[in-house]
Amino acid sequence: MASKTVLDELKRTQILELLEQGKRIDGRALDEPREIAIEINAIPKANGSAKVRLGDTEVLCGVKIQPDKPFPDVGDKGIFMCTAELLPLSHPTVETGPPQAPVIELARVVDRGIRESHMVDVSQLVIEKDKSVVGVFADIVVIDYDGNLFDACSYAATAALLTSKTPKWTMVDDKVTLVDGEESPLPTTTIPVSVTMGKIGNHIVVDPNGDEWDSMDARVTITTDSDGNICALQKGGSDGFTLDEMVQCGETSIRVGKQIREKLKAAQEGVQ
Amino acid sequence: MVDKRKYVIPGDVITTGPFRPEQNVMLVGEKIIATAVGISEIYDDSVKVIPLTGKYIPKIDDLVIAKVNSHTSLSWELDINSCYVGFLPAQDVFGRDFSAHADELATKLKTGDLVAARIANFDRTRDPLVTISDRDLGKIDSGILIAISPSKVPRLIGKKGSMIQMIEQATNAAVTIGQNGWVVVSCDTPEGLLKAKIAIEMVNEKAHVANLTDQVKEMLDKKSES
Amino acid sequence: MGGRDATMVLLDENGIRCDGRKIDEPRKIMIRAGGLKNADGSAYIEFGDNKILVGVFGPRDVHPKHMSNTDTGILRVRYHMEPFSVDERKRPAPSRREIEISKVIKEALEPAVMLEKFPRTAVDVFIEVLQADGGTRCAALSAASVALADAGIPMRDMVAAIASGKVADTIILDVNNEEDQAGQADMPVGYMPNLKKITLLQLDGVLTSEEYKKCVTVGVEGCKLVYEIQKQALNDKYFGKKGD
Repeated sequence: MASKTVLDELKRTQILELLEQGKRIDGRALDEPREIAIEINAIPKANGSAKVRLGDTEVLCGVKIQPDKPFPDVGDKGIFMCTAELLPLSHPTVETGPPQAPVIELARVVDRGIRESHMVDVSQLVIEKDKSVVGVFADIVVIDYDGNLFDACSYAATAALLTSKTPKWTMVDDKVTLVDGEESPLPTTTIPVSVTMGKIGNHIVVDPNGDEWDSMDARVTITTDSDGNICALQKGGSDGFTLDEMVQCGETSIRVGKQIREKLKAAQEGVQ
Repeated sequence: MVDKRKYVIPGDVITTGPFRPEQNVMLVGEKIIATAVGISEIYDDSVKVIPLTGKYIPKIDDLVIAKVNSHTSLSWELDINSCYVGFLPAQDVFGRDFSAHADELATKLKTGDLVAARIANFDRTRDPLVTISDRDLGKIDSGILIAISPSKVPRLIGKKGSMIQMIEQATNAAVTIGQNGWVVVSCDTPEGLLKAKIAIEMVNEKAHVANLTDQVKEMLDKKSES
Repeated sequence: MGGRDATMVLLDENGIRCDGRKIDEPRKIMIRAGGLKNADGSAYIEFGDNKILVGVFGPRDVHPKHMSNTDTGILRVRYHMEPFSVDERKRPAPSRREIEISKVIKEALEPAVMLEKFPRTAVDVFIEVLQADGGTRCAALSAASVALADAGIPMRDMVAAIASGKVADTIILDVNNEEDQAGQADMPVGYMPNLKKITLLQLDGVLTSEEYKKCVTVGVEGCKLVYEIQKQALNDKYFGKKGD
C-alpha cells in the first residue's frame, strides 16, 4: 500500500523461485492466510472497537454511534460510513497530508465490502423519519504495515461492528434525547469476509505479506457474506488476470472466507 | 581497561571527574551524562556508551550491504540503511579510464541491485564515500535480504564469529553480515533458508536474553516439519 | 461504558476527587517502549483512560530539500487524534487544536534532542491519540520522549510531563477530563528531570500568585513521578531480562 521503495529485485526473484516450487518465503501454502489475532474492545470508550494483527500488519477500528441528520432523499435510513487512514507511523514512506488515491481506494473497498453485504441494517437506524437518524461510523487506522491492508482493515471493521453496542435515542419535545441505560448490541445481519489474493508471475497467493505485496503484479479482493455469496470485488494492480484465474479466485475467496468467518464469530462470542 | 559497566538512558549521570567524553556521552560541568540507551563503559581517561538501539552511522572500513537507489552518468547513489546515502563513483567500478560517454553505469549495477561494499571515507558534512573494488565486494546475485538492528550485529556475529558460524553450519546457508544491519542469506534449500532467517530474526529480537545461544541452537536442531 | 457524571462534586469534604483520587495522586500510568515493527522507535502509553501511540522515524532525509537545515537536523511533530478517540466523533482532518499542540510538543522536545549531530536530516515524531481523557498532550510528550530514546536519537535528557491544576480552590496533580472541563485551572507541565528545565508550560484558568507558584511546583514534582515510569519502560525493553 505504501509507495514502493526501490524495487528489491533480489527479493522478487527469490519469491518467484520459491513459488515455482509451490512454496512461500514464510513457509505458508499458497492459499493460506497468516495468523489473525483479533482483540475486541481495544478502545473501551468507543461504542465498539477491534484491533487486528495479520502477520506484522496491525490495524485498529473504532466505531462511534451517534445521532445524525439523514441524507437528503433517504429519510428512512440511518447512516453507515467506513473510513480508513494510513498513519504515518505505520511505514517510513507514508506521508502526512490529505489521503492519496491508494488509501482512498482502500477505504472505499472496505466500505463497499461491508455495505454491499448489508451487514448493518440502516433501516433499523431511524429515530424520526426525515428528521433524525442514527449514524454508525467505523473509522479504521493502520498502525503497522506488512502487506494486505484490505483484509486487515475489513476484519477490524467487521469485528468492531459485530461487538458494538448502540445507545437508544427518542424524540422529546422535538429534540433528540438519549434514553439512559438502554444500550443494546448493534443489529447486524451477516458477517462479510474479504479475501485478498495477489498475482506474482503466474502464481496466485492468498494474503500477501509485505514482501509479496511489493513483488505483486496484480491483486484482487473478494468479499463474501455468511451465505457464501460474493458481494463485493475489486481488482487492482497493473497486470491482468485470466478468466480462469478470476473464477478460481472467486472459489478460493468463498472457501478461505468461510474459515476466517469462524474466527470473527469466535471473537464475537468471546464478548457475549 | 573497563572500570565499571552500567545500564543507562539519556540524561543519566554516569560519573563525575576529568574524563574525556567519547561516543554517546556529553560533558556538563563536571558530570559525564549519557545521551543514548545503552551500556556505559568507563576507561582510564574516557567514558563512552555502547548504544543498544539506533540507526547505522557509517564508520570508515565498515563492510555494509547496500542497495542501488539511482545513478547519474558519473556515480551511483546507494541506500546503506542510514540517514546518509552512500556515494559510489563510476571510477571505482570502471577504473581510472572511465569515460561518461563510453561506459554505461547500468551495465554494471542497476537500480534495485544489492552490493557488498565498504565505507571508504566519511565525515558528517558529506555523504559517505563507498567502494566495491575489493575481492570480497561487489554485486550480490542471489539470496534474500534481512534487516536487523545495527546494534545487534555484534551479537549476530558472536564471539569470534561463533553465533553466525553455528547458524551457517546448521542450515548450510551462506550469510554476509553488513555492519549497517543488512544481512544477505543464500541457501540451496528453502528449508535451510527459512531456518537461517528465523535464527537471524531471533537474535534480533532477543539479543539481550542471557541464554540466547542455547535458544538459537535448540531451534536449529529441531527437525523442520513437512 | 457509562461515563463519570460531569455535575459530580469535584472535591468532596474528605479531599477525595470525582474519580476517587487524592489531591496529589496521579492516575495509573503504564508505558511500553517499542512495539511497532516499521518505525525506528516507538512507545505506547496509558495514562488513566488516555491511550496514546507514538512512532519515531529518523534521523532521515528531508523532503522537500529546501526544508532541511545545513547546520542542524530538524524536529517535526504531528499530534493527531483518531475520530473514535473522543466522545463526539472527530473528523479526520487536523484541527487548530491539534496543530497548536503539535507545535508545543515539538518545542518541549527540542531542548532535549541533539539535532546538531545530524545536519541536513529530520527526526519525525508521530503521535496518535487512540482514546482521550484529559491530559493527552502531557501523556503524548512523555511517550514521545521514550519513543525517541527507543529510536536511538541522541538526547540530553528525557522529557516527562503531567498537568497540575485547580479544582474547588485546591491545587491538584494530574487533571482528568471532568476536572479540565469543570475545574478552575489546568496547567500542563513538561520537564527535563536531570537538567532540571521546564520545556512545556501552559495555563488555562485563573491563579493567584501563590497558587501559580504552588501549581508549577506540584507539576514539576509530578513530572518526576512520570520520569520513573519512563525509566522503567526503557529498562524493561533493553535491560530487563539480562539482570545486572
